[in-house]
Amino acid sequence: MFLPTVPALSRPGSASAALALALLAPASVGAAREPVYALVNARIVTVSGPTIGKGTLVLRNGVVAALGPDATIPPNARVLDAEGLTLTPGLIDAFGGLGLPAPARRGGGRSEERPQSPAASPSPLAAEALVLDRIGVADALEARDSGITTALVVPREGIVPGRSVLLSLAGQRPEELAWRQPFALHLHMATLRRQYPSSLMGTLAYARQALHDARRYGEEWSAYEKSPAGKRRPAYDAGHAVWLDVLAGRLPLVVTAHRENDVRRALALADEFGIRLLVAGAPHAHRLADLVKARKLPLLVTVNYDPPRAPSFGSFGGDTDEEREREEIEEAEGNPAALHEAGVRFALVSAHARDFLAGVRKAIERGLPREAALRAVTLSAAEALGIADRTGSLDVGKAANVVAWSGEPLTKDSRARMVFVDGRLHEPAERTDSDEKRRPSVAPER
Amino acid sequence: MRATRPRLRLLPLATCSLLLTARTGGAGPPEAGPGSGSVVAIRGGTVITVGPRGTLENATVLIRGRHIEAVGTDVRVPSGARVIDASGRYVMPGIVDAHSHTAAEGSVNECSDSVTAEVRVADVIDHRDVNVYRQLAGGVTTVNVLHGSCNAIGGQNAVLKLRWGKPPEGLLFQEAPRGIKFALGENPKRSNFSVPGQRRYPATRMGVEVVIREAFREAQAYRREWQGHAEKAKAVPRKGEKPVAPRRDLRLETLLDVLDGKVLVHAHCYRSDEILMLIRLAEELGFRVRTFQHVLEGYKVASEIARHGAGGSTFSDWWAYKVEAYDAIPYNAAIMAAKGIVVSLNSDSNELARRLYWEAAKAVKYGGVSEADALKMITLNPAWQLGVEKRVGSLEPGKDADVAIFSAHPFAAETRVETTLVDGTVYFDRERDGAGREAGEQETDGSVLAEEGR
Repeated sequence: MFLPTVPALSRPGSASAALALALLAPASVGAAREPVYALVNARIVTVSGPTIGKGTLVLRNGVVAALGPDATIPPNARVLDAEGLTLTPGLIDAFGGLGLPAPARRGGGRSEERPQSPAASPSPLAAEALVLDRIGVADALEARDSGITTALVVPREGIVPGRSVLLSLAGQRPEELAWRQPFALHLHMATLRRQYPSSLMGTLAYARQALHDARRYGEEWSAYEKSPAGKRRPAYDAGHAVWLDVLAGRLPLVVTAHRENDVRRALALADEFGIRLLVAGAPHAHRLADLVKARKLPLLVTVNYDPPRAPSFGSFGGDTDEEREREEIEEAEGNPAALHEAGVRFALVSAHARDFLAGVRKAIERGLPREAALRAVTLSAAEALGIADRTGSLDVGKAANVVAWSGEPLTKDSRARMVFVDGRLHEPAERTDSDEKRRPSVAPER
Repeated sequence: MRATRPRLRLLPLATCSLLLTARTGGAGPPEAGPGSGSVVAIRGGTVITVGPRGTLENATVLIRGRHIEAVGTDVRVPSGARVIDASGRYVMPGIVDAHSHTAAEGSVNECSDSVTAEVRVADVIDHRDVNVYRQLAGGVTTVNVLHGSCNAIGGQNAVLKLRWGKPPEGLLFQEAPRGIKFALGENPKRSNFSVPGQRRYPATRMGVEVVIREAFREAQAYRREWQGHAEKAKAVPRKGEKPVAPRRDLRLETLLDVLDGKVLVHAHCYRSDEILMLIRLAEELGFRVRTFQHVLEGYKVASEIARHGAGGSTFSDWWAYKVEAYDAIPYNAAIMAAKGIVVSLNSDSNELARRLYWEAAKAVKYGGVSEADALKMITLNPAWQLGVEKRVGSLEPGKDADVAIFSAHPFAAETRVETTLVDGTVYFDRERDGAGREAGEQETDGSVLAEEGR
């Protein structure tokens, strides 16, 4: 189980109190003010079960209260006619950068293919950092316009960039959006420029040493706590404390895999130290389908097909980098379909791509069935994050995270007309598209 | 690694067509090696054993499972054995390359510190590196994948068997002892590895010596810390509170393993003065250098190297690609060998590794080394340098069935490798390779060939 850990030293004063409150009762904040909604005449894609051709979905107190062809509409409900709309669970970006400043240069290509300089990152080796401190709420909330209700926000830079936060996209302040804080510690299989670790070997050695140090830190503290008399109090170390959370199973480790064998490396590290592991990125994961299945590895598969690439070393007489890059992109685009074909369950994630849904559509174009794609950005994502008992599908009792689409979900022209996050309604601003057919006849709640 | 090495030296490359051989695809690796019962007989060839039995005409190498069962002219081939006809061909042990960077993913240099003993090449094996296959086509079966030479004490190397098509862990030579890279001279003092804006101690050869000595002093202090802890823990009564163990330091632990002889030191070097320095330093600290790598001035201090008991892993005739390589002579291998040093000829190059047999031939040409001894320089000698001489390096009963079959004597200008076996499994076969390319197959990943060998 996840135990929400309140960072004791990082946020003094009232912010910490608000944070603690948000953690203790994540769904209750503000939910009491929400009306009861009944969406009627809707096509309901539950993802967990069969699709309901025409039915009613009732949202109350931040959760799905009822659904079905004959669900009872409570007398106090605000009834919204969803005729012609398709309801799906809110989309989950289980590994991305919602609300974080965009990287200086976007897209892939060789211009960026160099190790990061320290200046590019707040701190490339900072397990203790909390990404929540860097989130811009307005930017994050924009994602609701494309049907995203839930997001894991991960810092993009560095090697150990700190801890991610799971957001539910409703509220005004970062702490209000926080669903689980911190969510996980992150290890990017990357390298630094001009400082340790500057090689992949070094990155693995760094992680190993950090875990050994944390283990000893834990031993020191537990010896002290057991009998403090006559002992010098051990020094507090914010970084060791976080790695210790990982060792103790309080925090999962998410390893970002760029190369095929990064997945194997992550598994080896997790095995060596008994760590709960998720793997993100993994554009070659289809080559390891059997391994992933056998190990039941939670996989957050990238739709960022053309990220900045590491420089090649020692290539002699091989393909040119341009050729190799084209092949890499091709393979990454076909990766989700191949994984599905092999019977692997996985989440599709933005991995800091600018347009998450465009990436998902590309995977569909390359052979991933649309239903599988929808599952990959809803229920499978929730499963990978360990929150499938709370969200990811339209089932009674789960969070009222719902999207009403103008057309078939995950097609290019389909628009999110209404987005409910924890039962709170957001209506994306109308676009000037000609396919605009109908608007729900309800005034937005404020 | 060498930072500046002339790349364009034209030789008739029998293997250059392999540049066309395509990339490794999605097909899985071959399953576990041949069953213990499977028998392969390589029959009718000239068998260069590199062992005590010398070279045998019209002989048979009998392989059962992963090992050589018999070698000789009177070996009975059991019925049901798979026979490889080697008549008119030359059969020799798989070639061992004691200095390679093949199949290492990302940089082989962790340059950010002068001591990085904790990093491991074994963590970053890229089993799909096509150079693995290309080197099989040059008869190579074992390689020593070393950390680079940008720091005085680099990372730990990985000895690989070229089991092409297997996942990374399937390439590791499990029985090989651990090893580590040291580096002396221009590279670690940064003449060849300047990073703009970064200054790192040391900047002189004197500094390199200090870095190594200080690192081991630190390791010795680390040992005392643990010994003190062990004594304290012992003194605690059975139900008493045990003291917390000291911090585990993976860097210093590795250096202690060097002092304890569990990790073999491969020291990159060029000049005689730095070679003597490391010999003195190692003897002062209490470890033995297993190999001096490159060691281009080894001929000047060959007696001292021999007395220390280190091997020499050198180039055949490469020189003057940097200042510290000006005094190289092509007689280096021969002179070192004559003084009693176990000498190997290495590649340090994905490309050169494919024709190490011609590198060995140069030792005959320049130093008058016997053919047998020259062949040892690419088989049994490097095997000893890597601590695997009991497993590979010669064709003898009980050893691993790592075999290269040549179309002509390995020193002949027109020779080429026809078939290469690792652990009794065929991982390269020229006929199959050619047929695959004619059929327009874009992928050759060894699995087909491996099945053939069973």
